[in-house]
Amino acid sequence: MNIYVCIKQVPDTETKIKLNADATGIDPTGIKWIVSPYDEFAIEEALRLRDKNPGSTVTVLSAGPARTVDAIRTALAMGADNGIQVETPETADNQLVAKALAQALKKEAKVDILFTGKEAIDDGASQTSQLIAEHLDFAHVTVVLGAEYTAQSVTCRREVEGGAIEIIEAQLPVVIAAQKGLNEPRYASLPNIMKAKKKEIKVLKLADLGVSEADQKVRVKNLQLPPPKAAGRKLSGDTAAQVQELVRLLHEEAKVI
Amino acid sequence: MTWQTFLFLAVAGTAFGYSGYRFSILFKLMKAHQGQGRKVDRIPERISTVILNVLGQKAVLQKKGIGIAHTLIFWGFLIISVGTVEQFASTLVQGASFEFIGHWPYRAFLFLHDIFTVLVLAGVGYAAWRRYLVRPEGLGKSHDASLVLAFTAGLMVSILIMHGFHIAGVQPDYSSAMPVSSSVAAIIQGLFGFSPGVNAIIGTLFKWIHMCLVLGFSVYIPGSKHLHIVAAGPNTFLKNLDPTKAMKPINFEDESVTQYGTAKVSDLSWKDSLDYYSCTECGRCQDVCPAHNTQKPLSPKNLILDLKNNLYANKEAMLAGKYDEVTGVIDSHITEDVIWACTSCRACEVACPVFIEHTDKIYDIRRNLVMMESKFPTEVQTVFRNMETNASPWAFAASDRANWAEGLSVKTVAEETDFDVLLWVGCAGSFDDRNKKVLRAFVSLLKKAGIKFTILGNEEQCTGDPARRIGNEYLFQTLAKANIETLNRYNVKKVVTACPHCFNTLKNEYKDFGGTYDVVHHSQYIAQLLQDGKLKPTKSVDETITFHDSCYLGRWNNVYEQPRSVLGAIPAARMVEMKANHAESMCCGAGGGRMWMEETLGARINVKRTEQALETKAGVIASSCPFCMTMMSDGVKTKEMQDKVRVLDIAELMDQATP
Amino acid sequence: MAKVLIVAEHRDGRLKKATLELVSHSASSGNETHVALLGDGVQSLAADIGQAGAKVVHLAQAPELKSYTAEATTRVVAALAKSISPDVILASHTPTGRDFMPRLAARLDAGIASDCTQLSYQGNGISVRRPIYAGKATAEVEFLGSGPKLATIRANSLGAPKLDASRSAEVVPFTSFELSGLKTRVVNVVQGNAGRPDVTEASVVVSGGRSLKSAENFKILEELADVLGAAVGASRAAVDAGYRPHRDQVGQTGKVVSPSLYIACGISGAIQHLAGMRTSKTIVAVNQDSEAPIFQVADYGIVGDLFQVVPLLTQELKRVKEH
Repeated sequence: MNIYVCIKQVPDTETKIKLNADATGIDPTGIKWIVSPYDEFAIEEALRLRDKNPGSTVTVLSAGPARTVDAIRTALAMGADNGIQVETPETADNQLVAKALAQALKKEAKVDILFTGKEAIDDGASQTSQLIAEHLDFAHVTVVLGAEYTAQSVTCRREVEGGAIEIIEAQLPVVIAAQKGLNEPRYASLPNIMKAKKKEIKVLKLADLGVSEADQKVRVKNLQLPPPKAAGRKLSGDTAAQVQELVRLLHEEAKVI
Repeated sequence: MTWQTFLFLAVAGTAFGYSGYRFSILFKLMKAHQGQGRKVDRIPERISTVILNVLGQKAVLQKKGIGIAHTLIFWGFLIISVGTVEQFASTLVQGASFEFIGHWPYRAFLFLHDIFTVLVLAGVGYAAWRRYLVRPEGLGKSHDASLVLAFTAGLMVSILIMHGFHIAGVQPDYSSAMPVSSSVAAIIQGLFGFSPGVNAIIGTLFKWIHMCLVLGFSVYIPGSKHLHIVAAGPNTFLKNLDPTKAMKPINFEDESVTQYGTAKVSDLSWKDSLDYYSCTECGRCQDVCPAHNTQKPLSPKNLILDLKNNLYANKEAMLAGKYDEVTGVIDSHITEDVIWACTSCRACEVACPVFIEHTDKIYDIRRNLVMMESKFPTEVQTVFRNMETNASPWAFAASDRANWAEGLSVKTVAEETDFDVLLWVGCAGSFDDRNKKVLRAFVSLLKKAGIKFTILGNEEQCTGDPARRIGNEYLFQTLAKANIETLNRYNVKKVVTACPHCFNTLKNEYKDFGGTYDVVHHSQYIAQLLQDGKLKPTKSVDETITFHDSCYLGRWNNVYEQPRSVLGAIPAARMVEMKANHAESMCCGAGGGRMWMEETLGARINVKRTEQALETKAGVIASSCPFCMTMMSDGVKTKEMQDKVRVLDIAELMDQATP
Repeated sequence: MAKVLIVAEHRDGRLKKATLELVSHSASSGNETHVALLGDGVQSLAADIGQAGAKVVHLAQAPELKSYTAEATTRVVAALAKSISPDVILASHTPTGRDFMPRLAARLDAGIASDCTQLSYQGNGISVRRPIYAGKATAEVEFLGSGPKLATIRANSLGAPKLDASRSAEVVPFTSFELSGLKTRVVNVVQGNAGRPDVTEASVVVSGGRSLKSAENFKILEELADVLGAAVGASRAAVDAGYRPHRDQVGQTGKVVSPSLYIACGISGAIQHLAGMRTSKTIVAVNQDSEAPIFQVADYGIVGDLFQVVPLLTQELKRVKEH
């Protein structure tokens, strides 16, 4: 099988977000870049599928600036066979990225299945897998918790509302967007880390792919930091009053219920 | 030359030949190991170590009763072996004897020989009583041990009977130097009343019995735990000379290395096999092992024996150099659970009378599991990830590292270059609310003493200790190199830290990567401040305090007295020791990366140690380590004693006492 | 004024409140509001949509539309969009909306903004703002070029829908779509792990510590969790004491969770626990010890006996829910 994975490099979850001078993006100094956690489930699923189907290969693609190769190396260290970086500007939107990745995939001999994470934890948009699927005219299944594969199709368990699980069958070729719980991503072994350092990563430029900045459809106009979280407070009054106040705050202030 | 000469040559030749063959295989097996063994340096120190511990039996005598018994048997063995050589000589050449050494010396030798024969018997008797009646758990059941005891007793009894008949038959003029044998002779005379000729023949017969026992023993030894009589001496000579110990670094730059850590016995070193050969199965290591004592599958003794058995099972492949065919070190005996149970407390190593180094083998096996096979308890992956991305085993942002010091006006080394000492905060001090208080107390003390100090602030990263103990040497070195780069960039010379794990790593392990600093633990630093009169504790702290030794301070770095002297300087405080203290102290359960692993097997180590602390009825358990603090505090809560017993760091207590 | 097409969502024969929220907001902003209603035998739902202020309901019905699939939905809505040329296409940011809307955007070669929490209409366009970096910042998104502007809107972001029984929409059947050769098929929908969700997936987690004193006492947390649709978690101490299975353990060595609401009951907040839940959006702590470190990270704290507080909280939530 020709298995592909699209991943995104994102700031680590613990990153303190600071804005750049004109508030159109974040200040990248001091940021630790990681592979978006949902993408790790995608990589792991691809590797497991490959290992069950001898003769298969796993190719990892990622769009982004030069630093993106580190994310690809992480995937190679986990065991992926090939890596492709698609050079896109920092400001690219998901449409541009998806189109570039789709064009890169069209250059490949055959794509049987493409894995992604269900969303990237930076912009949290959950768009790219569906966008690529449409560009390639593939079926797609998102938020996948489990999958069984045959040569022609894949049967997925996907999470829908209210904790319900939808069982959906899709014909190959297909794009699968992984949810947490699909598997337990492996920790790269050191020999694989060493090997990954030496692997060549193919670099594709937008021009090579017939994609231009005109394919960008949205742009971040400005960023804002939320007002600093108010210091925690202990409620007062008798127990009943405290409980009532708590429910009110959760509803009106925190808006979580 | 008599028929005895030829018979002896034939029998001894066969026995020594076979025994020699067996020893040569053991030697070749040693040489077939691929790991790096110990470098033989500091010869004079090594010689004095041997004198002290082999001849002087110092380490064996750590345990009184059986230590004395062993010493008697060992000294007896030395003297009696000379007698055995004399017997061999006299069998080869009629009438040969050591009498040429002089009249009195020879008689003195005979006297000692005679007395030690009985003392050895007494020692064997004590050992048998202990093994069969007292039955300490650590000894276990061993046919081998029974056979060795029987052999030794047989040797002594045969000597006494031989000498008895010989004296009764030949009545040599030196018999007066052999009071015991003379008494035996008198008894023999009284019992049997044989003629001198018959007595002499029976004496010769027992000499043969004795010599055959010796020869039989020599054949038996290579396959027995009694191999230690050959291996323990060299193993003592080759011991780790310092109480402190750094783990062996791996050179990741060396591309010829393709195997990291131990997957097979052959990946260990010849010194490791000498360790197995030296093991007498005394069980002292097992008796003190916190994992074993809380029903985990790890017993350091069994680990060594299982490694030995694994080596023997792979003898053919090892000797043929077919390392591919050597089976894995993880098997039905040494399971992964065994390897992960170790807290790296080194109680086993300190207890071992023949200086076996158990923990290095465990770390090396972990290295293979982690770096080659990515096999480890699932919760450890989080630790690695956190250390990789946030330089802390806990999931906290690196940019929050210095938040603990808010409002303390502590300067970072980037802000203040003029300082006496750099305070290494550590991840627990930075992120754990409980330990932040410890750091604040220590900062308060430093200020009271007028010390100029700085911190690295957000530039500090985890030292890498958890990764290293868990087996991720690669991650450790990444962090170590980053920290060393930072420390060297700021030209840091002296470092103080309240975390024994950071202390050990900075002091003993960074050296191998170009980071050499004068590192002290805060207990040492505070003790020095007291000595220099810079701290004057005058306020009473009316408490009974028991001090819990941290493994990485005590056994790893031999720091036992300074924390006690700090506590001792607190007015009105009363010190009480737990039963297990100093080098025999029990681990809290957090070392070796166990702080970040679940403890699902057996009882909880921290609860057991807390129970020992509660036995003292002290109102305060004093700790000097953030992990011990967490473990003991949890233990106190588990025992629901948090209203009566507090766990406090020595810095907090001293700060209370210092106006 | 914009021509807005809203893709309606329904389940078990009922319209989603979030759909009405979009319709009502669009209509009250003065837009020409069209709604795509897809399904099989769903015409009765058009009335509510009309009450919320829609001008036209485009009713697309087919057996293949009985169960939602992204593929079929995309085909139908794309065909409708080509037919009526809306300026804006909206759906709620639900598991359904977030699934098909990007695909629709690619098919229409249009810009899309997902999970918007602010939406306002400007001329025939929209201005949206959405959280990024897990809520650590928000971004205003600008649409480039021509073509429709697509957005998915987080539920409850636009205020409660205003229904007016006097209003009704024109219902126009829409049939110009092709549903042959679909590559995906819903085989079945099953209820997930019966009742309570797993701690890692739940948006609300109620956790208990050793202070609960027994496994049975966790019942009061379960009752609270059921009112909130929450998962029940536990501290390591509670798991060690055998009150809960290890799979419920929240913390460094258990599950790391980041729900929108985390309620810690009788948990002191040792580093081991904090490392597993610190990033939750809103944290409530109930603890008797006012010095407990959990209050350092809590947004709202109640110092008190959890055996009193928790049942009261359950009651109060039930009461609020019923109103």
